[in-house]
Amino acid sequence: MRWVTAKRIFFFAVLIAVTLWAMRTTVPEKARMAPLEYKFRDALSPVQSGLTWVGKKVSYWISFPVSMVGAAERNRALEEEMAQLKSQVIQLTEYKLENQRLSELLGYKQVMSQDYNLLAASVVSRDSVSWFGTVTLNRGSRDGVKENMTVLNPEGLVGRVVTASFTTCEVLLLTDPRSGVGCLIQETRIPGIVEGTMGSSGMAKMIHIPNNIPVEKDQVVVTSGLGSIFPKGIPVGTIVSTKNESSGLFVSADIRLYADLSKLEEVLIVTSVNPAALTGPGGES
Amino acid sequence: MQYTMFLLIMGVALILQTTVLDTVSVGGIKPDLVMLVVVLNGFLLGTREGAFLGFFGGILEDLLCGHYIGLNALSKMAAGYLAGAAGLRLYKENITVATGVTFLSTLGGMVVSYMLLLYLNIHVSPLSALFRVSIPTAVYNALLTPLVFGRIFRYIQIRSREM
Repeated sequence: MRWVTAKRIFFFAVLIAVTLWAMRTTVPEKARMAPLEYKFRDALSPVQSGLTWVGKKVSYWISFPVSMVGAAERNRALEEEMAQLKSQVIQLTEYKLENQRLSELLGYKQVMSQDYNLLAASVVSRDSVSWFGTVTLNRGSRDGVKENMTVLNPEGLVGRVVTASFTTCEVLLLTDPRSGVGCLIQETRIPGIVEGTMGSSGMAKMIHIPNNIPVEKDQVVVTSGLGSIFPKGIPVGTIVSTKNESSGLFVSADIRLYADLSKLEEVLIVTSVNPAALTGPGGES
Repeated sequence: MQYTMFLLIMGVALILQTTVLDTVSVGGIKPDLVMLVVVLNGFLLGTREGAFLGFFGGILEDLLCGHYIGLNALSKMAAGYLAGAAGLRLYKENITVATGVTFLSTLGGMVVSYMLLLYLNIHVSPLSALFRVSIPTAVYNALLTPLVFGRIFRYIQIRSREM
């Protein structure tokens, strides 16, 4: 082997080894952001924010003429739906008042709007590769955002904050393969873990569900709050299909998430949870 | 391609990748612009340049994300090298050939990326990885090739005449 070739191979091997080492040492759970990375992300966020806005506007104006087709028909349908919804709102208000009275009687203090302090945030940018599911938000440590804060939107759970710089924070979405959330099936109270499958998919997988109680399609999955950083009772998604796990003791289920994570624009960060929300009936936690 | 120009193009590609490209995503899949630029440059310039530009562009992407530094660098280096190797053997002035090379090199880069995910203990189902991420991204990149290949090809020709 020629000396030059040997030198090249050696250089290449060192480069690969150093890169593999760097990859291991910059795993998000272990690493903290370096000051340079903070500054890099903070400096870039206004540009990304502007481009995201431009992208949304362009997309709107391109899709606007298409959306006008059949607009009159849709308008009539929406008006009918609105009339129905109005009557439903009145009915639901009644239920809400009744529920509050019953909750007080039972000692429940879990009314969503009273439970959390929420901070609105906009999506500035997304992960550049399709494997992962992370988004950057325009809120950072100056707004009181910290690691592991829960992120949700009106439809359901979105993910959690993994890093926070001064003006931005990074959120690990439910669909990311590194994500895991303790959940339970609302009707049957069966626990399981909701794991992400791939950043680009709108689906997640609930694993380790005990097979002694049947799991059915369309059952609702919510956060369990047990041993988890996520508050209890946040809607996650509905079960689409189930499959036996290889151990034979558990089943796993594909879950369609309530929150459309591919089209996220605005989200809410749970900055603090009312202590009363963490207390179950009779003061149990 | 001059390195300052390459750096500029990479910067623009990266910002577009993380912002507006979501509006053109199909089934959650968006094209990998950084990979596309690396592959086409590697195809036209050769294995060494392809691998170097791939590593350089990938590191930039990793630094922007701030974690798993080296993941994109190694996968894009592999893609750039593959494209360069194809460029040494194939006719370069044909868009169809460039499209095919983009598809295969992007796919190769995605496979390396998948193997590195396994190395990092991030488990993604192999079938999903292949059919829901790797192949769709490679197809998307290949479809964009005719739009950008001519410009890069002409730019490199002009630069080589000037030197």
